[in-house]
Amino acid sequence: MTIIHAEKDVAEQRSRLRTEVTLAARVLPTHYPLETFIAVNPLAGFENLPFEQAVRRAGDLYGTRGTLTEEAFRTAYRAGRITDADLDQALGRRHPNLLAGSPVRFGDRDVTPAELLRGDLLHGTGTPEPVRRYHTRSERTDPEVARVVDAQAAKWCAAFFGSAGWSLPGREAGFYSAWRALAAADPTLPRAVRRRLRSVATRPEDALLTALSDVGISETDRETHLQAHLTRLPGWAAHIQWCLGRGVGVDLVGYLAMRLSYEAALLADAPADAPADAVAPQLPSARERAIHLARIWDVGEVEELELVAAGRILAAMPVSAREMLWQNAFEAHYRDGLLADLSSVNGADTTTPHTQVIACIDTRSEGLRRHLETLDGYQTFGFAGFFAVAIRFTDLLDGAPCDLCPVLIEPSHEIREVPAPGAAFAAARTLAGISGLAGAESAFHAAKESLAAPFTLAEAAGWAAAPLAAAKTLAPAASARLRRRLGEWVAPPVATELTVNDVPLEQRVLFAQVALTTMGLTTGFGRLVVVCGHGSTTENNPYQASLDCGACGGQAGGPNARTAAAILNQDAVRTGLRARGIDIGEDTVFLAAQHDTATDRVTLLDAHLVPASHREQVRTLEADLARTGAALAAERVVQLPGAPRHPSAARAARHVTGRSSDWAQVYPEWGLMGNAAFLVAPRDVSRGLDLGRRVFLHSYEADVDPDGSALETILTAPLVVAQWINCQYYFSAVAPEVFGSGTKTIHNVVGTAGVIAGHDGDLRLGLPWQSVATGERLVHEPMRLLAIIQAPLDRIDVIVDRNPILQRLFGNGWVSVAARESSGGEWQRRTPHGWRQ
Amino acid sequence: MTQTTLTKMTKIEVVVAGGDAPAVRELIQSVGATGFTSLSGVSGLGHHGYRQGRLLFNQQATLELLITVVPEDKVDALLAGLRPLLDASSGVMFVTDTYVSRPDYFS
Repeated sequence: MTIIHAEKDVAEQRSRLRTEVTLAARVLPTHYPLETFIAVNPLAGFENLPFEQAVRRAGDLYGTRGTLTEEAFRTAYRAGRITDADLDQALGRRHPNLLAGSPVRFGDRDVTPAELLRGDLLHGTGTPEPVRRYHTRSERTDPEVARVVDAQAAKWCAAFFGSAGWSLPGREAGFYSAWRALAAADPTLPRAVRRRLRSVATRPEDALLTALSDVGISETDRETHLQAHLTRLPGWAAHIQWCLGRGVGVDLVGYLAMRLSYEAALLADAPADAPADAVAPQLPSARERAIHLARIWDVGEVEELELVAAGRILAAMPVSAREMLWQNAFEAHYRDGLLADLSSVNGADTTTPHTQVIACIDTRSEGLRRHLETLDGYQTFGFAGFFAVAIRFTDLLDGAPCDLCPVLIEPSHEIREVPAPGAAFAAARTLAGISGLAGAESAFHAAKESLAAPFTLAEAAGWAAAPLAAAKTLAPAASARLRRRLGEWVAPPVATELTVNDVPLEQRVLFAQVALTTMGLTTGFGRLVVVCGHGSTTENNPYQASLDCGACGGQAGGPNARTAAAILNQDAVRTGLRARGIDIGEDTVFLAAQHDTATDRVTLLDAHLVPASHREQVRTLEADLARTGAALAAERVVQLPGAPRHPSAARAARHVTGRSSDWAQVYPEWGLMGNAAFLVAPRDVSRGLDLGRRVFLHSYEADVDPDGSALETILTAPLVVAQWINCQYYFSAVAPEVFGSGTKTIHNVVGTAGVIAGHDGDLRLGLPWQSVATGERLVHEPMRLLAIIQAPLDRIDVIVDRNPILQRLFGNGWVSVAARESSGGEWQRRTPHGWRQ
Repeated sequence: MTQTTLTKMTKIEVVVAGGDAPAVRELIQSVGATGFTSLSGVSGLGHHGYRQGRLLFNQQATLELLITVVPEDKVDALLAGLRPLLDASSGVMFVTDTYVSRPDYFS
């Protein structure tokens, strides 16, 4: 009986511990592997807190910044990017009563509360630097032990996730078992430590419980201590967290059991825990800040009573709040300008379009759409780049299928690429060619990485490999052209189709209705409607997926565009749509395309399916897209490091093409750098305005969505993904040492998990430094997302009220909202106290 | 069929946010439960107000219902893990007696 009770107690302790690990891990970012790398909010676990508190809490855990430095903001102020009016607005929203106070005497002048606070923002000192405040036992007592624990943890994680020629022995039994079998044989550890590691428990929960006890962590302190361990190497911990439920053979309990077992074994002979004194930062008092201002302003002698009065005002704005005030002012400057610009637009388009282009909401599409709309007869729409078809796609090669949909959902249909009727023979030849090329490439790499074969390989293939490497370095564009032609010669392109009829007709009709209604395209169809996905062509770029389509799970959206176009061209689907009030004329043809955001080339897909009646118009479209792409390239290259400054459109197009195929290029394109707003409105609201490729554009017509279901879909999915992207760029810019992956030039890829900087250490999170900066200069302006919505305000409120995710994002300041009922109205801000102008 | 021909077990139903569901599934498996049923996109009215059901393109923001059936000797271990999780999250748990016809499926 006693034994049964003891077993039950142990089972309960293990179960409780698992939950403690789960709760501790909520502070970890999500980390997707490289091949499906998509942007996420690294502080998603803190979204239940107001933004300011969240970044402060993250600062305590990670020792990271939550905003730019005060000095960076002051530089922006001197450059005119933040004005006195912006600062006053930010101060007024935070301290509405304080600013209404009377001026106070300050030396030889009278100063208003606003002037005092602004002066402190501009000249104040003593802003505390973020400091990691939660420490592991070894951090507190012996930092060298903490370093060893990290080094061991990183080493075993790299061995488990890496794809070295010799795989980790026992890997198939899982991470913890493999580590446990090998750790005690590590000759780099002292003999006593190895002896202790030999007695580590078989089950990771038991090992972790024992180690927690050995290092003297009480039950009440466990979660905090586990968090301190998880945040030492947040990259590996985040990736292991991602593996949960995916059958990878590793979980955080095993990872923490390893870390804590090392800590316990290394500290076994150390003195009892001596908590380090938390050194509170010495912040200047309000009186000292007033004296500092008097000196800076040179106001002469200041009476004691004057210092008290000024200090009372300054005390209302703690030193620690200054950076957030700057952040608010920084954002207000951009947002006010954008809303004013949008108010000035009269983009109503009364001409009948001959061609409509539906592009992804991605900020890069804004440039393409803007340039295309300068040509007669083109109208554009924005929609999430998976075009409402959440598919698991298998291409002609019949390899592993890809999930082409936002990670928020599971794919609902399997779509396969098959040879078009009459193309089976050509497809067989192409497949044979591709297999041959893939086999040769695989053999080359296998020989390169084995022990003796490289010597033979150098003899056998060196004559070709060396000139090819030289060509790729010296003439990347020509080399890429040559390789493409060689590929097309060995494996000629072949006409294919997608198995869209595997999707039941009722669901195809439903998809078509949802897609068209959500973007407000239910009448006035053009003769051609182009469904344009996007992807990015780059060389030697582990972060390729970060440049592809986030709505397609970090992959190119061509297959989704092809699926959507194929469905929308079907007679049976159009008949079903007609019954639902959407009449697509017989003369309308949907056509798929893909925008390469690195080269700005738009490739039309499935051109063999275009009926003869529309081929002439498609030829015109191709020419127009080429002109549009070149114009967009000329606009973009101005911002790319090392690009010609004022190139012609043709030269710019050649430059970006060469750049995308250059395997040494760390700036193939800027991706979504600069993103700052999300517009949910008809294109009339923004047509003709240069939004600088900073705004996600989702088309929406409130009139065709009386029950708000389309708006709810937009706010709970595309907006959420946009906020992830926004936060990924934001934190990669303000806290690059933890939430950015550092410079690409020293990245080493670990299997498919991610990259490490150099040869060891943590798996790096977030975006490379080259995604947000050049050299030391930050190019991305980190600001939170502004959602701008043209819809009835009460409809927005109802949707927010029934969706906790929106309550968190909007209520806690992760996303701000401005809205108006219809064109011509005043924009209103959504505040905790209702809508305000 | 009468209860006397059935075997008594315990049914545990948990409603949690979609983001917490993987942790609950892992916990269920870690105590030795042999299976579970999950139902995503559940809606209803509770302590945190009305919760929207299925969203068209977001399965993570909706609630998920997980149901498992375990023999008595595993109940306390599972509850020991679930209770602190629910203390720190929005969600509910129902624990009831239930009867199964093939007990070997659940042990």
